[in-house]
Amino acid sequence: MALRRVAYYKGCLASLSAKELDSSTQALAPQVGLELVELQAVTCCGAGDIHEAEPDYYLHLNARILAYAEAAGCDTLLTICNVCTLNLRQANWQLKNDDALRQRVSDNLEHVGVPPYSGNVEVRHLLWEIAEGEGYELLKAAAHKGLKGLKVAPFYGCQILRPSKLLGFEDPDRPWSLERIIEACGGEAIDYPAKIKCCGFPIIAAREETALGELIQPIEQAKEAGADALVTPCPLCHLSLDAWQSKLKAATGKDFQMPILHLSQLVGVAAGLEESELKFKRHVVPVTPVLEKLEV
Amino acid sequence: MSTNIAPAPGSSTIELALKIWRYDAETGEKELKRYEVEAPDWVTLLDVLDIIKDQQDGTLAYRKSCRMMICGSCGMRMDGAAVLACKTRMYDIAKSGHEPVISPMGNLPVLKDLVVNMDPFWGKIRSVKPWLDPGYDEVAEKERIVSQQQMNVIHKEALCIMCGCCVSECNSMESDPEFLGPAALAKGMRFVGDARDHDDVQRLNKYNEEHGIWDCTRCYFCNERCPKGVDPRDAIAKLGAESIKQGIDHDMGAKHAKWFVRSAMTTGWLREEELIPKTQGYISAIRQAKFALGLIKHGKVRPVPVPHVAERVGEARALYNLVKEQGRDGALGIVQGEHALGRIEFTEEAGARENAPEIQPGVEPPPAEG
Repeated sequence: MALRRVAYYKGCLASLSAKELDSSTQALAPQVGLELVELQAVTCCGAGDIHEAEPDYYLHLNARILAYAEAAGCDTLLTICNVCTLNLRQANWQLKNDDALRQRVSDNLEHVGVPPYSGNVEVRHLLWEIAEGEGYELLKAAAHKGLKGLKVAPFYGCQILRPSKLLGFEDPDRPWSLERIIEACGGEAIDYPAKIKCCGFPIIAAREETALGELIQPIEQAKEAGADALVTPCPLCHLSLDAWQSKLKAATGKDFQMPILHLSQLVGVAAGLEESELKFKRHVVPVTPVLEKLEV
Repeated sequence: MSTNIAPAPGSSTIELALKIWRYDAETGEKELKRYEVEAPDWVTLLDVLDIIKDQQDGTLAYRKSCRMMICGSCGMRMDGAAVLACKTRMYDIAKSGHEPVISPMGNLPVLKDLVVNMDPFWGKIRSVKPWLDPGYDEVAEKERIVSQQQMNVIHKEALCIMCGCCVSECNSMESDPEFLGPAALAKGMRFVGDARDHDDVQRLNKYNEEHGIWDCTRCYFCNERCPKGVDPRDAIAKLGAESIKQGIDHDMGAKHAKWFVRSAMTTGWLREEELIPKTQGYISAIRQAKFALGLIKHGKVRPVPVPHVAERVGEARALYNLVKEQGRDGALGIVQGEHALGRIEFTEEAGARENAPEIQPGVEPPPAEG
């Protein structure tokens, strides 16, 4: 099977605190038909923060990432983070649809030694690559070990759904992609209202109390709906849902012990990836109950 | 059946059913009631409510006035999503057989059925000083001309009809009811960005207070729900950028945002381990030592952070310096992209939808609460 070459932008978290997301994505990619060309000379997308602090710099940083993807000869830039996805798609849309703006930004890139960007790259999240089309067919074949009816709560996070005019893959109020993947892997998708809401991550350092008020909703609802684990396509959601559960316990007295899986880990388990690739030991909330249920 | 909304010559009628959360704050009684209606095929949700009220149940309460998307009275939820009832055509829903659930907007107390108490909403709008302060009392003899280019800066914010749809689903406000919220902050940007207003520093200081711009959790529900294209989240980002441009950066949210800029310039990647101390200050961060140790134990953070430096990071630094020289600081950096973003409304692009399975029934909205 010929693999499709895509530029791979792993972003900040998968480079450091969520290395397990990077390793599981790299291990899974060939099984779903992707050859990852990892971009080395790229920076943070700004995560919405640079967009809010220095928006013109945000546009240039993202243009630079797109330019290196284009220079690598790829028409697709693969992301594994919601926030990277929105930031890059927003900048890409602006650059593709405003010739004067793209010319100015491209001139600036060239001025500092970056290849110019001509607007021929599409930014796509891994979730979209495996939820339909060839990626989905390959996923079904790869997930041979199944999930033995594991009850999984899909948690989308915000910036892969909204604003839908920039993301546009699925109905932001009735998304289906995670459910489809969970079921293709042999799991049971749990439904609950907060699956499309915010995890609170962007303000968790500056407004922890407000953020915890958001964070508790998906975890509590998923628990009540009988979920064994929660899966998310975003490492920022993963970090808040996983690492801040201890703070929820301190604030509310509720100890949910809800295992949080990256999308690539959930599919990876069904596809039989090894612990050295899945790296569940890096999670704060133990994933052991899930692995025991799956007899891994 | 007879109807006071007659089908136009040549048009047909549709049959549809919907469920409405009935609620009375005085008695505390609530009930999800189902209604069946036959109506002209062009009806909006508001027309359907009118037919129900006229022919089936005169006690149904909802707000309306202009019927043409400009008064902002008929905000309510359909299947959990805030909409203007007068903008929502029912034809496709009726044809699909789906029975939508209609409920009042969120984040505001319900008075009766679909009517919410807008007092908290107006209180927040008033608190951002929603009027122009030109900084002079005497009217000059000569007209002060404002260019179209200057007005373009606040074009989107000026479209707001204050319907409350953005506030309805604001995730931060659900958690912190005192958050000024998307409507009031977009209104604030409408004046901060107005070339005729001379009070922007005081305004920005006010919006930088505890329940202000840095409370926004970037859930983007406001942009998604706004029926007029205001994009309140973008307005909040513009206020953040204007604040930082003016040196109003004492809030932890501003420090958090600035640390990303600093990281991109120096190492390319986010210097994650320093983010909390740089946001909250080292003393506050030390108080969280136990939490940090938990993260270290699982390899989430390293005890001694060695910078993770991107290749060719010098380019990112040079770009920063170049961009700063060109002076598109503050809100202008966001406004410059709006020309392209405005074009999305008129195209099919955005994303692929092939092989999408049938739309699943919507999430049931929470019961109405007083």
